[in-house]
Amino acid sequence: MINVKVKCFSQVKYALGVDVLTFELDENTTSIDLEKIIRKKAGKKLNNVPLRIAINQKYQKEETILQDADEVVFIPPVQGG
Amino acid sequence: MVIVEIANKSIKSFGITNDDNQNGAELVFNGRVRGTEKGKPIKYLEYEYYEGMAEAELKHLANKVCKKFTINHLYCRHRVGKVKAGELSIHIMILSKHRKEAIKAMDWFIFELKKNVPIWKWAILNDGRKIPSDCMH
Repeated sequence: MINVKVKCFSQVKYALGVDVLTFELDENTTSIDLEKIIRKKAGKKLNNVPLRIAINQKYQKEETILQDADEVVFIPPVQGG
Repeated sequence: MVIVEIANKSIKSFGITNDDNQNGAELVFNGRVRGTEKGKPIKYLEYEYYEGMAEAELKHLANKVCKKFTINHLYCRHRVGKVKAGELSIHIMILSKHRKEAIKAMDWFIFELKKNVPIWKWAILNDGRKIPSDCMH
């Protein structure tokens, strides 16, 4: 098993009602698997929200196998400026 | 040279100089919080950011702009936390030999910033309600 931390921002935080979640996951769990878990947890609140994935503060272009102690953020559309 | 900062305090200008004989163009962009959001009066915008990654993405973009366009310096300050209507949320200064490259670089930098840097904002209305602020202009 591996442990990962999910930090929540903006619409993800609003949908889940928390800043941080921790998960104990099977080895070989991928970023997309975890996204499905997060979307399910949010009910329908994230249905129309595109999410980019950052692992350890770097955007991921492809599905990635998660590692123990990874920090994952599902990034809704950003709004800086 | 690149300087980028994200801070929860009022933005101060990078200032001007009268002894730079390399950069004929000094272009400044100030982004300011408007008093309305979707037609409704607001108290303030509340910015949140992903600490660490937001700074890294901003710096990465600034370095990319300096390579993509012929500019010499890019300085950027972005505010987070509560920003009242009328206050600056972002201040950018680009210095280059000629104006055209600075103008192109500024537009590209802001466009990419609004697409990639993990910063978000909510508008807090006068009646206390919180609504997403999704201006991409």
